[in-house]
Amino acid sequence: MKSKALTRAAALSVVLIAAATIGSELSAAFKQLLTSIGGHHWIGKSVLSFVFFGLLFFFFSKISDHRFTLKDTGLLIGAVIFSGLAILIFYIMHA
Amino acid sequence: MVNPLIFIHAVCAELGLFAFLWVLVEMLNPTETRIARAQIAAVFGFAFLIFAWIMGGFYYVEIYGLHVKPLITASDAKWVHSIVMEVKEHVFLFLPILATSTAALLYKYDGELIENRDARLSVVLLSGLIFLLGFSIAGMGALISSGYRVALMAGMV
Repeated sequence: MKSKALTRAAALSVVLIAAATIGSELSAAFKQLLTSIGGHHWIGKSVLSFVFFGLLFFFFSKISDHRFTLKDTGLLIGAVIFSGLAILIFYIMHA
Repeated sequence: MVNPLIFIHAVCAELGLFAFLWVLVEMLNPTETRIARAQIAAVFGFAFLIFAWIMGGFYYVEIYGLHVKPLITASDAKWVHSIVMEVKEHVFLFLPILATSTAALLYKYDGELIENRDARLSVVLLSGLIFLLGFSIAGMGALISSGYRVALMAGMV
């Protein structure tokens, strides 16, 4: 298992969750698409988050090298902070 | 009366978060024995978070949306749903991914964690992030419960 691929897949999955969250509030059609996955848009996002994570890990495993450093973890932590704040600010402005 | 699903969701999530705090403490000064304990704690932490996800998700979709959300959104505390609940339900989705990554790093590096500073610090930082993010989410859960009580006390039923 490539650790760099794992942290990159996790970072991009977190950003995609934030993008899907904001996108589903801005586009009724996208929200409906997510709802069609599991009967509720949140279930759709839940399923997609792990599907994305798996697919992105597979993709990054093909292109990432083996050298894993603390910077890779920093990228994941940065993605979590950025995505969390993006969701928070969006809902404050959207409320 | 508090729905039992909320109790199960909260207890499982907190057990999962404390399991990752346990991982963090074990990794501060790792030995073979401490790494083995941390691996077990990470597996239990991951399992508890997944169970909390399923329980919380079932409650959110089947009960909250039908019985709690309408009361909160009709009250003066409607921001509790439109901001706090929306943020909570979506930021929660980061936790299973972070828990999977942390547990996978623990098993990948195993005994190497004693010498490999970057891998060890990665596990420490990710475990700390899971704990802090998780308890921020728990705080949001407490706010939502307070919002529901405010709605009930305002005579919205």
